[in-house]
Amino acid sequence: MTAPPLIPRRMAGVFVAGCAVLAVLPALDLSPYAHNQLTLSYVMIAGALAWNWMGGFVGQVSFGHAAMFGIGGFVAGRLMLHMQLPPPVCWLAGGVVAGVFTLAAHPTLRLRGPYFSIATIGIGEISRQVFTYWEEFTGGATGLSLPISAVQKYQLYWWALALAAAVALASIAIRRSSFGLRLLAIKADVDAAADVGISAALYQDAIFALSGAVVGVSGGIFASYFVFIEPGDMFGFDRSITFVLMAVIGGVGTSLGPALGAIVYVVLRNYLLASYPELHLGLFGVLVIVIILFQPLGITGLVRWLVRRVQRAASPGQP
Amino acid sequence: MSRFADLLVSTVLLAGLYATMSYGLGLIYGVLRVVNLAHGGVIMAGGYLGWVLYVRLGIDPYLTIPLVALASFGLGVALYQGLVRWLPRGAAGGPASLLLLFGVWLVLRNIAYALFTGNEQSITTAYSTRSLALLGVHLPVTRLAVLGIGLAIAAALHTLLRRTQVGRAIRAVAQNADSCTLVGIDVDRIYTLTFGIGTALSGIAGVLLATVFSFNPSSGASELLKAFVVVVLGGLGSIWGIALAALVLAAAETYAVLIMPSYLTTAVGFVLLVLVLVLRPGGFFGHRILA
Repeated sequence: MTAPPLIPRRMAGVFVAGCAVLAVLPALDLSPYAHNQLTLSYVMIAGALAWNWMGGFVGQVSFGHAAMFGIGGFVAGRLMLHMQLPPPVCWLAGGVVAGVFTLAAHPTLRLRGPYFSIATIGIGEISRQVFTYWEEFTGGATGLSLPISAVQKYQLYWWALALAAAVALASIAIRRSSFGLRLLAIKADVDAAADVGISAALYQDAIFALSGAVVGVSGGIFASYFVFIEPGDMFGFDRSITFVLMAVIGGVGTSLGPALGAIVYVVLRNYLLASYPELHLGLFGVLVIVIILFQPLGITGLVRWLVRRVQRAASPGQP
Repeated sequence: MSRFADLLVSTVLLAGLYATMSYGLGLIYGVLRVVNLAHGGVIMAGGYLGWVLYVRLGIDPYLTIPLVALASFGLGVALYQGLVRWLPRGAAGGPASLLLLFGVWLVLRNIAYALFTGNEQSITTAYSTRSLALLGVHLPVTRLAVLGIGLAIAAALHTLLRRTQVGRAIRAVAQNADSCTLVGIDVDRIYTLTFGIGTALSGIAGVLLATVFSFNPSSGASELLKAFVVVVLGGLGSIWGIALAALVLAAAETYAVLIMPSYLTTAVGFVLLVLVLVLRPGGFFGHRILA
């Protein structure tokens, strides 16, 4: 007996086709605005999906992912400035450092639920303060400018797309693998999982570090996209909130929902900042409240509900 | 020696503030098993309400406390009846209630931002800079007032929970809600009341905090963190445990200044939190419920 493939063949086909279309889009006279929006969306998709590995699959809601995002961004930036390494190498290095940093947060993994969440607020706040004061590394309040040329910035589109695609595939694969099932078991009941030989500490360490590393890489690309970065923003609490919002909007715990959430977030945020700048945070707050009360799985839950309605309408014989 | 005494005094004064900041969070968690993630937001909102009443109507900040308490009590009741009530409680509702109250926090932040802009504010009165000298130690008047009010609130809360019928009902619900239904306690009403009282306590803490530190719509994260450290350290739900834990946190933060740069003081509370949760998950002072 062979295990089912991690990526179903039909899904893989659709996925490759979709990525191919997105990859040639810029050749079709895409406006600079759309080009930028898509680039940013890809970066956010990667971050949201990686957050969801921890917040959704294991059910450990983190309010501190800005720490990894910022570390990835600043490590990549420093490497570009001082070592003149090619950007992709710097992003990967940033991801690795962020992943190692996440491993250092190991003691917090003994905490569950709200305890873990509030501990991650601590991780985020301490990182923000430490990195704001560590001026030799982050430039302090004056920030850091990255040596990114206009051409390189244009090319970020494909790098970000590649990252988002890889992370999306990884999400599906993790969710369908025995590794993913173990994560779900930990989420459902830590003690019961331990009884069948699943070490919560080991698996949470692994997925938390992986999640942190990917968020670190997306932080590096994000930093390159904005060229100028500043610790107060990169490590800020609002940055951490972003990951939570995207995942909640798209559907916490679903394999690809957070990707939808990221797109909605980027588009909606842009619209709100342009039209109602002083209300955008509150409207996201209201959105979160409505989602949690009426459709805890966000957009994914809404789509599933619609599909069920349509199916029921199509087969009237069924009760 | 005098430096040591100075730090001791500031420890005690800071502890009063931290304890007041933590009662609301502890009470709501102890009874409803819901971590009020909007706690920091309510503290911020309480600060703004006190500030507005002082700046616009000229009411002394400490006299605004009853008004702020009443307003935040109403807010708490509304939050419970309108939102929290509809979620499953306990382990099942954990992430849901957390995220829901997180949404509430964002809304509160935005309201404050829309009304008062993002500028730093603080309540400065004629006596804000005044201090008493006692045995060579300077005691700022506002800090003393905060400590006094904090102690009064602790005593009032203790009396409420220990000596009144409602308080007994709240403690009973905290222990076993199902049995309470059997003996005729309206559990939902107790939950509403508890959420209201807890939120009122957070609002009061906001006013007290505003008379000592500056604040803006985004503040609240570090207050939430500190309150949580205190509540966990004190054993969820015990009032005197909370007071003692506030003293421990205040001492750790104050004396940490001697050995590390001041911007690392937030880390002190965090390290304390992780140590407690890893070593003594029930808190250092037992985990009786609302004793």
